[in-house]
Formats: sequence, C-alpha cells, structure tokens
Amino acid sequence: MASTLLAWINRRFPFTSFVRNELTDYPVPRNLSFWWNFGFLAGFVLLLQIVSGVFLAMHYKPDVNLAFDSVQHIMREVEYGWLIRYLHSTGASAFFAVIYLHMIRTLYYGSYRAPRELMWWSGQVLLLLIMATAFMGYLLPWGQMSYWGAQVITSLFGATPMIGEELVLWLRGDYAVGDATLNRFFALHYLVPFVLCVMVLIHLVALHHVKSSNPSGIDLAAKDNIPFHPYFTIKDLFGMVVFAVMFFAVVFFAPETFIEEANNVPADPLQTPPHIVPEWYFLPFYAILRAIPDTLGGAAAMTVSVLIFAAMPLLDRSSLPGGARYRPVYRAMFYLFVMDVLVLGYLGTQAPEAWVVVVGRVATIIYFSIFLLLPWVSKIEERWLRRRGLPTALQATMASERRQKASGV
Amino acid sequence: MRSLRVLSGVLLATTMMPVVMAAVLADVEIPSDEASLQRGAQLATSVCLGCHGFKYLRFGNLQALGFSDEQFDSLRAGQDLDAALDSYTPADVARDLYGVVPPDLSLMAKAREGGPHHVYTLLTSYYTDESGVTDNHLLPGVRMPDVLGYSSAATPGERTELERQALDVVAFLSWAADPKVEQRERLGYFVLGYLVLFAALLYVLKRRIWARLG
Repeated sequence: MASTLLAWINRRFPFTSFVRNELTDYPVPRNLSFWWNFGFLAGFVLLLQIVSGVFLAMHYKPDVNLAFDSVQHIMREVEYGWLIRYLHSTGASAFFAVIYLHMIRTLYYGSYRAPRELMWWSGQVLLLLIMATAFMGYLLPWGQMSYWGAQVITSLFGATPMIGEELVLWLRGDYAVGDATLNRFFALHYLVPFVLCVMVLIHLVALHHVKSSNPSGIDLAAKDNIPFHPYFTIKDLFGMVVFAVMFFAVVFFAPETFIEEANNVPADPLQTPPHIVPEWYFLPFYAILRAIPDTLGGAAAMTVSVLIFAAMPLLDRSSLPGGARYRPVYRAMFYLFVMDVLVLGYLGTQAPEAWVVVVGRVATIIYFSIFLLLPWVSKIEERWLRRRGLPTALQATMASERRQKASGV
Repeated sequence: MRSLRVLSGVLLATTMMPVVMAAVLADVEIPSDEASLQRGAQLATSVCLGCHGFKYLRFGNLQALGFSDEQFDSLRAGQDLDAALDSYTPADVARDLYGVVPPDLSLMAKAREGGPHHVYTLLTSYYTDESGVTDNHLLPGVRMPDVLGYSSAATPGERTELERQALDVVAFLSWAADPKVEQRERLGYFVLGYLVLFAALLYVLKRRIWARLG
C-alpha cells in the first residue's frame, strides 16, 4: 500500500529522489567543525520568529493609541503571552548572534571564495532583509526607544541628495513617525520574513549545488564526504539543543536583557530620551554613522560598512585555500577586524563625547582599511608565503586538490 | 567552544552596561517575600495611588500576593476585581495641579536605568536644606513630594523604618512590572532541565552514530 502510494507520487513528484539527493545521499565533508552549525541554527531561529510572530500578531494592535497597551495585554493577560513575546524579542537577538557567527566562520575559513560567491551574496541579501525586519519590528512595541530609534534612522534618508525630504516623507507616510509609520512597519514586518524564506531557499539551492565548504578550504575527495543523514542531522540537532539551552536560559531567567529600559516607557514625541541607543546588533554600524561628521557621509559610510562584505570574493586575491588557517597575515587582519567591530560596538553605546568620537574615527578607518587593503595584502602575503615555503599540511591539501581535478572526480 | 566564548563575550558586554551606569544608585537587595510585597501593595494603594496609576494592574491581580480575605477586602475598598488600579487624581486634574501627569507605575521598575534601585534611591534621597526647601539628590527639582517624609526623619531609627517602607514599595513595583516572574522561572527550570538531559542524550547518540565511520 505504502509503496504503491509512493510510486504514484514519484511518477508525479520527485519525492524519493529528492530525499535521496538532498538528504540521505547528500555528501557533506566529514571534517566540519561546530562552526558549520550556524546556518542550520539560523533556519531554526527564523522558524521560531515566524511562529512566535504569528501568535503575537493575533493579539497585537498596530495603532499609536493601542500598541503599547496591547503589548502589556500580551505580557499580562494572554495565556503564556509573556513567553511568546520573550521568545520573539530574545529570538531577534539570537538571530543576529547566530548570523554574525555564521559570517565570522565564512570570513575566517574563506568560505566566500569561488565557487561559493552566490552563497555569500544571497547571504548578504538575507542579512539586509533581517536588518530591515528587525528595525521595523523594533518600532512595534511603541516605546520611547522604538519611536526615537525609528525617528533617527528614517531621518537619515533625508541626507539623500535631491530627494531626501520627499523620501523621508514617503517612508514615514507622515511628517514625523506616527500612526501611518507604525501601520506600514507592521505590514512590512509581517511580509518581509516570507521574502526572507524565499531567499533562504535560494541560499540552500546554491549550497546543495556547490556543496558545503570545509576547514581545509578545498573540495574534498568523495571518500572524505559522508551523507547528510544521519551524520549531520544528528550533529545539527545536537547543536540546536545546545543552542536552545543558552537561548531558553535568557528567555526564562533574563528576558529583559535585550529590552532597553526606555522602551518600557510609552512613545512620547515631545520628549527625547537622554541618549538614543540602537539594539546591540546595530551598534558597530551606528558607531560608524556617528564617526563621520557629515550626515550624508555618515549614512553612506554606514550603508557601505554593511554592504562591503559582499566584495570579499573580489577583494581576497590569494589562491591559497583554508582561509585564515594557513595565512598568518590574513588571520591577524581577521582578529583585528573582530576586535575593531567589538570596539565600535562599545562606542555605539556611549554618549558622543570627544574621546568617543576620536576613537570612533580611528576604528572606522581601521574597519574600512582592512577591506580596502586586502587585495594588495593578500597578494603580497601569498608571494611571501610561497617564497618562504608553504607548510607541508597545506602543500598536501593543494596537491590532493590538483590530483582530484586532474582525475576529474 | 570558541563560538561559546564569542557569544558569552557579546552577552557580557551588553549586560555589563546597566550595572556600570547604575553605580550611583543605592546598592540594596530588593526583597520579593510575600510580607514585603503585601506591605508594598498596601503602601502603593494608600499612598502612590493618590497621584499615580497602575493601569496594567487590576485589583484582582493583587490576590496573587497571598492576602487574607479581610486584608484584601480592605485593600480593594469596594473596587471591582476587574477594575484597573487607576490614580485617585484624574490625569487632567493632575496636569492642572503639577503641570505634568505623574507617570504610570505599572512598569516603573523596568522603565529606568537601575530599575527598582532607581526608585528606591529616589524615595530615600529627599533632604531639606537650611532655607527649609525640600529637594532630591537623585533628581534635583523633581515635582514629586517627599511622600514617605524621609527628609524630615529625625532619628536614624526613623530613617531605617522609612528605608524599609521604600524597599517594600519597590518590591511591589518590581512585582507589578513583572507579575509572571515566579511562573516564568518555575517553568524555566523544567525547560532547561529537560533540554540539558535531551542534549546529553543527543550527544551520546551522535557519538554512537559517528562511531560507524570508524
């Protein structure tokens, strides 16, 4: 009976072959470390956000007079409403944590290199969509920080030459952030995640075409690949539960960690909070915005600081595989970059005093220099490494890749 | 492991900030025992409600604090169980009197940096200078009067008693801002316990499955 049904389906839909090709026989490098778990985790958090978000939307009211109250209604009167809301608010932070770690892995191991440029670029689009969704979602509780954050960020579009003022008006639907803004942000906050799902699908199709990268940086021989199921289903599941332990520890025991005090005060357009701080995941970019004295320049630098990741496959000119593992100069730059981003993040929390501005400018220059010097640094580094003699492990890796390419496997 | 270190770094960096900023606030432990909460609720309904409201609390919610029937009846003073804890002074009257509407207190314990410590410090920072003017060290010029009478406390004993009252009030405010905390943490232990056990089992299973590779 079951086999007849399966045969009926398979004549009309490639069910069995799909499961085989993408799951039970899908080859994955056996040497993946836990750094390769974060893509799966990002998918899990996306699902969590969509499910919790749909339930929140059932009780939330996108109206300037009701929004704040409806969140408190969810927190106090909806059965387990506090849980749904804390899952969603903590989930937003978890999403960025997971995505940033996913990106850090890609940068460290050079996973953005050929033939995975489209994975990196579709990932970049995903990052932008997640940022937009998070930004719009942050307005919905209609607290002081929601309101003023949206006011500040939408006003940045006013720096656009020629059409600035009209653009801001068009985005807000009013002269200031108001009911029209709240309504459209809610509509788009609900919509964009589904666009995001489509992008995730594209990301996955590309992944299953080029296959997963791995710490060695080369495409492994067939004997070094193992089927996704059961080896990586169990590994990803284990990683997911470890992640869940940390995630639920925050949800149940420190759920207000990621909620600014000022956001527990209803939005008041007549009273600006003493200092406006974005959510932690925007802090480094916010620090870059503030480091530039000119609004247009600052907004442009902030935009470029997010988009510049997309240029990595073009900027990294080295032909050595394995990313930072075998490249001491690139590795030093990588750690410098991570530290620089943490410094920028810290500066983003501080009131813009003189020293904050100075350090912010230095950190901004370092941020962009690391990207812009990479084409030369990566070339010079490779020449130097080759002259000095490549490590034997790397030579072996490269030789095995050459052999494979020659034998056409 | 490295991922854990990075994540904990990020978490630490974000949680450290309020602690550093709250350094000027009184470093007291906020009680959460039933007796404190009950005394706090009594002070809140008899004193705070004179000017402030708790619009997200209903009288019925106060039953969760374990009052006896007589205590609860005198507390609610004939109010409907579903009635919100609104201020005795209507907003427009308050605006005429003080120039501002006193803020709603439902979320006050989470609405200022330092949370309950902020409110405690405010309540115990009133003083009267030589010219007889009463002001506040934490928020100079604050329009809220010294409701507990801290500035006129004559003896250390009196001051200690008022500090205890302030603690009771902030204990109640903390509960009012997060009335589900007990339910949340109780559920949290079960969820985390389950997940840790589940993770351990999955780890064993993972080892076993990967052992097939030799």
